[in-house]
Amino acid sequence: MMTPDEILEQLKQKFGDAIGETEVREVEVRLTTTPEHGREVCRLLHEMGFEYLNCLSGADWVTHLEVVYDLSSLRHPNKVHLRVKVSREDPLVRTVSDLWRAADWHERECYDLFGIRFDRHPDHRRILLSEDWVGYPLRKDYANERMVPYTDYGMEEKVAKSEAAKGAVKASPAPPPKPVAS
Amino acid sequence: MEKVQAPVPIGTTVTVERLGETMEEMYINMGPQHPSTHGVLRLLLKLDGEVITDCIPYIGYLHRCHEKIGENRSYPQIVPYTDRLDYLASMSMNFGYVLAVERLMGQKIPERAEHMRVILGELQRIASHLLWLGTFGLDLGNFTIFIYCFREREMILDLFEAVSGQRLNYSFYRIGGMAMDFPDNWVADCRAFLKWFKPRIPEYDALVTDNILFRKRLQGIGVLDRESSVNYGLSGPMLRGAGIKWDLRRNDPYSIYDRFEFDIPVFDSCDVWARFLVRRQEMIESVKIIEQALDRLPAGEVLAKMPKTIKPPAGQIYARTESPRGELGFYLISDGSPKPYRYKVRSPAFCNLSAIHEMMRGCLVADAVAILGSADIVLGEVDR
Repeated sequence: MMTPDEILEQLKQKFGDAIGETEVREVEVRLTTTPEHGREVCRLLHEMGFEYLNCLSGADWVTHLEVVYDLSSLRHPNKVHLRVKVSREDPLVRTVSDLWRAADWHERECYDLFGIRFDRHPDHRRILLSEDWVGYPLRKDYANERMVPYTDYGMEEKVAKSEAAKGAVKASPAPPPKPVAS
Repeated sequence: MEKVQAPVPIGTTVTVERLGETMEEMYINMGPQHPSTHGVLRLLLKLDGEVITDCIPYIGYLHRCHEKIGENRSYPQIVPYTDRLDYLASMSMNFGYVLAVERLMGQKIPERAEHMRVILGELQRIASHLLWLGTFGLDLGNFTIFIYCFREREMILDLFEAVSGQRLNYSFYRIGGMAMDFPDNWVADCRAFLKWFKPRIPEYDALVTDNILFRKRLQGIGVLDRESSVNYGLSGPMLRGAGIKWDLRRNDPYSIYDRFEFDIPVFDSCDVWARFLVRRQEMIESVKIIEQALDRLPAGEVLAKMPKTIKPPAGQIYARTESPRGELGFYLISDGSPKPYRYKVRSPAFCNLSAIHEMMRGCLVADAVAILGSADIVLGEVDR
């Protein structure tokens, strides 16, 4: 059974500079990495025994977006908290749903709410919001609650058409009688 | 298996060439309004006759922007929102959330509050499992078990009403302890309930567990092997019904759960029957925990001295607790302000539901309801 420091050591040995800031808190290893190496780091962690993906979420840090992985094991008490920084303009990261099938729906939710795209995801579509939703609500620049796509489902056209049809048959009502000046 | 592109028109008939034979497969819709989907869930079932060849769940009908709302509320203001996540286990949702914030702040809470949390959390577990058992039996056609389970659940709800004033969304936990103390005589009432409840499980057994029809309907369906269960991130009774002895109260103890003696029920058959037995046994174990907690309940205050505005130091935390449905996780990023920067709920039912499609393959349409029932989902926390 490896200690958190040993786990970090092994990761740094294999990936060197790709591992950014790290921290060890009791049994938890916290580290950051780049989108290019994200999946390889995950694969190594999976081989090290982190077979349980607790949570995969996104975060919006204004300058960039982030994908956060929380991993743990059912056999040893260590945990891993991995953050992958992605750019705002092209938030693309390779999927880990072939390593942990739990990631399937979590990545769909991340795409739905943050717009982070997952390369080679088997079913890359929105999950919580409707298929035709525009925008990514959990981003910090989605503050305007009026940014809901408005559609009147063709009602305005329909009403206009029926008014036109009615207008041809009915004359406008007579104006009300003028009040008598006293 | 061919990939399904959503949305698919209802009643579509697809002709499939398979093994030299031409068959017709039909897409049929289950939900979002359906008495047995336990909420607004849509399941698109691809059928070959009566056999389900694929199941595509559509969720999001109950999405209420919980996480976005959380970013615009102060930490104590989020507690009533957590109630409404899994509205059938509100105490557990509160528990998970306040635990996460307290860990982020490094806050210690009074002993009496810790015991109260365990007592109410375990009572909530019993209530949630009773509701699950009642509706599960109801889905399968057993009306009596529904009435029996709800009779006991009403007693628990009376206890909760006495303590918090609410029958359902209690908002009773506070960051730093509990909202208020037990009213007079509550402990005696609780003990009276436990005394009434203990002989009820053999009563339910006579109705369902020992019922040959029940057994034949549940054994061998909805199977998901051990490795897949772990890979899908299943938790709670779904994992323990797959032979994996994993319970956060024992394996990653939080609050004061390491002081209590209770067993973790585990069954090996990975099917609906195993999950049923796990939840049934868990009710018995919860009774044990409540009795021990009531015996050890110390006197004292129930809320620690907290600052007027709760501002956790900047940092992040992922804190997990064992809710009746599985591992409930709260991922909080704090930037030192009174409102969370990022607030994410890891819902157990969300992860459990993602594995449903694999569990349903090869089963009959009539089994779909039983398999969905065994997952014990609550759409409030799936969709948030």
